[in-house]
Amino acid sequence: MAQVTGAAVTGARLKRLATPYAYLFPTLMLMALLMVVPMIMVVQYSLMDNVITNKHPQFVGLENYAKVFQDEVFLEAAGHTLYFTVMSVIFHMVVGLMFALLLNSKLLGSVPKAIFRAVYVLPWMFTATIVAILWRLLLDPSGVINYILKFTGLAQSYAEWFGSSATALNAVTFVNIWAGYPFYMVSLLAGLQGVPADLYEAAMIDGAGSVRRFWHITIPQLMPIIRSISMLDFIWTMQVFPLVWLTTGGGPIHATEMLSTYTYKLAFSSYKFSLASASAVVILVFSLAIAFVYVKYQKARD
Amino acid sequence: MKRFLSVFLTLMLLLSLSSVSALAQEDVKIEFIQWWEPELPQGFLRGLMDEFEAQNPGVKVELISGPYSSTKDQIIAGAATGTLCDVVGLDGAWVNDLSKQGAIANLDDLVAAYKTDDSEFGAKVSVGGKNFMYGVVTFAYTMFVNNDMLKAAGIADVPSNRSEFLAAAEALTNADKNQYGWVLPLSLQSPNGIQNDTMSWVWASGGSMMNKDGTPNVNNPDVKEALTFIKDLYDKGVVSPGSFSKQEQDKVEEFVNGRIGTMVDTLAHITMIRERNPQLDFSVSAVPAKDGYDGKRGMVYAAWGIGVSENSQHKEEAWKLVNFLLNSDVNARLAATANAFPGNSKAAPDYSKADPLFTKAFEIYQQSYACNEFVGLPVAEELMRIFAEQFQGALEGKQSIDDCLAAVQEKWQAEF
Amino acid sequence: MNTAGINHRGLKKLLLYLALAAGALYAGFPVLWMACASIKSNREIFSLPPRLLPEAVNFDAYKTIFSTPEKMRFFLNSYLVAGCVTVLTLLFAILAAYSFSRYDFRFKKQLNLFIIATQSLPPITLLIPYFGLITTLKLYDTYFALIFTYMVFTLPYAILMMTGYFNTLPRELDEAVMVDGAGNFRALWRVLVPISRPGIVSTGLYTFLISWNEFLFALTLTKTTKMRTVPVGIQQLMGQHSYEWNEMMAMSILGCLPILLLFLFFQRNFIAGMTAGSVKS
Repeated sequence: MAQVTGAAVTGARLKRLATPYAYLFPTLMLMALLMVVPMIMVVQYSLMDNVITNKHPQFVGLENYAKVFQDEVFLEAAGHTLYFTVMSVIFHMVVGLMFALLLNSKLLGSVPKAIFRAVYVLPWMFTATIVAILWRLLLDPSGVINYILKFTGLAQSYAEWFGSSATALNAVTFVNIWAGYPFYMVSLLAGLQGVPADLYEAAMIDGAGSVRRFWHITIPQLMPIIRSISMLDFIWTMQVFPLVWLTTGGGPIHATEMLSTYTYKLAFSSYKFSLASASAVVILVFSLAIAFVYVKYQKARD
Repeated sequence: MKRFLSVFLTLMLLLSLSSVSALAQEDVKIEFIQWWEPELPQGFLRGLMDEFEAQNPGVKVELISGPYSSTKDQIIAGAATGTLCDVVGLDGAWVNDLSKQGAIANLDDLVAAYKTDDSEFGAKVSVGGKNFMYGVVTFAYTMFVNNDMLKAAGIADVPSNRSEFLAAAEALTNADKNQYGWVLPLSLQSPNGIQNDTMSWVWASGGSMMNKDGTPNVNNPDVKEALTFIKDLYDKGVVSPGSFSKQEQDKVEEFVNGRIGTMVDTLAHITMIRERNPQLDFSVSAVPAKDGYDGKRGMVYAAWGIGVSENSQHKEEAWKLVNFLLNSDVNARLAATANAFPGNSKAAPDYSKADPLFTKAFEIYQQSYACNEFVGLPVAEELMRIFAEQFQGALEGKQSIDDCLAAVQEKWQAEF
Repeated sequence: MNTAGINHRGLKKLLLYLALAAGALYAGFPVLWMACASIKSNREIFSLPPRLLPEAVNFDAYKTIFSTPEKMRFFLNSYLVAGCVTVLTLLFAILAAYSFSRYDFRFKKQLNLFIIATQSLPPITLLIPYFGLITTLKLYDTYFALIFTYMVFTLPYAILMMTGYFNTLPRELDEAVMVDGAGNFRALWRVLVPISRPGIVSTGLYTFLISWNEFLFALTLTKTTKMRTVPVGIQQLMGQHSYEWNEMMAMSILGCLPILLLFLFFQRNFIAGMTAGSVKS
């Protein structure tokens, strides 16, 4: 008969309780030090006035937030950001999934597969600055895209993609979709390869066609991945800055103004760091809300 | 696995060591942040620093070079955290805000402390009566004209007033061949187009956008005339398409490729245009003034300015470097190499190896007065952007020029 | 019956390749244009009508890059930093994911939220306080500043991904190993990690790319030229007065080549056979 002392039991219990935290410890420590501290400082800035430019800023409470929400440019920027983000996430998913499915096809030999995989992943390999500059050159009114469009008769005249308020926002969204879909493609491809083959076999035996198999097996199996990458992408896309800044600068006349360009201009052009911090905290709150919903959903599933 | 970890840890250790620089303890090291090094021939600026070090034993200069577009942000961040380099390369448009931040030192104090004679140092930028920046070299903006296109359009003389310019621009434009008379870069990302391509017309005719006391006065007849003139050009289709997202660099490339007949641009581009397209036959002239104006014309300029960080631990050495770059000999050499005009009024750069166009431009410069009213203004870039946004609206037809100017005046006053 | 079957299959294959080609055009044309631009003269890039292939092949951009030691150092720095970030992030993420996947503990939901939430502030506003923090920690202008910073950006995705992966692996696997007396740590490394290779590979790739392409903090947290990375080097070619277009394109192409090779190498090694029902009970 094994005799276990009270102390040993408590010791073992403590160890079991502490273990998950121990695994999390390195991550948490890094995040706490390098993220939490600056974040708190930014929130602090947002509650003061004349930060950075003045050695003695004063506390003003929520005044900066009031100013920011009353600025119609801010609201316009918020609208554009929402449009840009939603469209980007949706199309990232669509394009990424399409390519992943194509690459996962059994009809594809391994050598062509490797080649096409490499080609499809290319947009991801370049820094945002280059993507912006490259597309500015391509979509220039006298650039190669317009030339091809006119040549093939798809367009009558040379469009000013980034220079016209009508097309600028969609042009920027299009470029963002191109630059970001590989993230989805690679994750979904890995996910597709994790779907057990016997599920498909069972469905085929039951007589399900490929479309039904797709909707009832593939998609549900991929759902966890789809959910998590969509959420992360949503948060990241809300903050996209260099792409918009270097192609249109938020123009023409605020047509592509995003929360990120708005914040940047407040900080580094108008030197209003307090307002910029307030604007940033607003973005933080939106992102937190999304993250919160996601985590809650995860918990419910578990 | 274990082996991998030990290799990895060793690597990390090596990394941490490599970041430590070995420096002789007696040397004073000063840092000079600028964007000039990549714009000058390889090794030139470093060579000047070596000369300085030779003349000042015990002082070492480290050049911190970055992209122009980020230099301002870096300076702000550096100033905010007290890590700003000792000597700071400045653009006149940043001076007001940096001085308010307490980032840059009052140079008059240094002049007094070290009993320097700064009478030769031209292009001072002052805020509230205190001087914060000297212009080391200045880049002037003139009208560039494509002679081939001019001849092909049957125009004999370079336009010298606005109506001649309009006529020339119309003759030069041929949309089917993708050729246009003029170009207007109004991108909001770096809204220099307002300064260089728009207000230059106002200043060329002796106009102004400010009051004598330094408050804005944008809504005046001179400015209105110039804007109306430009809108006229725009409506008549003589301006290259895509203005609202076009930047200065795009403008130059279009000119180089013979797609634009004229452009207002910096003389610093002469060398670049020659390199890109040696066959291009082009010339420079003064920006046309309004009809009937024969007074002195204002010439837009941009300067490579220099200042000293307020928090510098080595102000004496920093001041020595500033004086070095501004003394007539070094300044002349720098100006000649950079294709710019010297900041030292007594300097005599040797432009003999420079492009003949440059000498011509210098003559034009000497008959004009340097004029850039944005220098020294608070939040100058934001002011330009506000103007650009409103002007874009006017060009699109969304508002009249009057409304545009009234809006600009109102928004500017809020910033002052 | 047979021929109809083959034809059907042949048609499917044709459609597949058409779709693949269209996709390749969408994904690859801009990159092809970039590659051609890198071997053109600066002037030719803007010629009208636009040409894809250069009239006169001009390797000056590449020559300049290879002959300038500072520029080559940019590549070294980028690889060093990205490599370290990838290894460390994967390490931290695997540990954290194990915790989230295999354990239930009091603050699980909140910690999960916390880790994701750190992504939510726009980097541009974090710049100044962050810069102040790094300077105080005396990490300014070191590799560590970049490595630790990038880890903060890459960890949330890495943890999310790995947690998801571990979640699909049934606990019987762990238990099978633990029955033999091994602790849960061993179960993690001996069993879970090898099986999660596809996830680790794609996460690692993503981490590497994020770190490689990052510009803002690379610019702010480094001061001297010898610490700077490729994106900063590219931006430096955007001068006040003119851009060195072909050199910028050349640097990008040079930068992506090794990553592409890495990608090809890892995918070939780990994709095949991972679907082979390794989890059949």
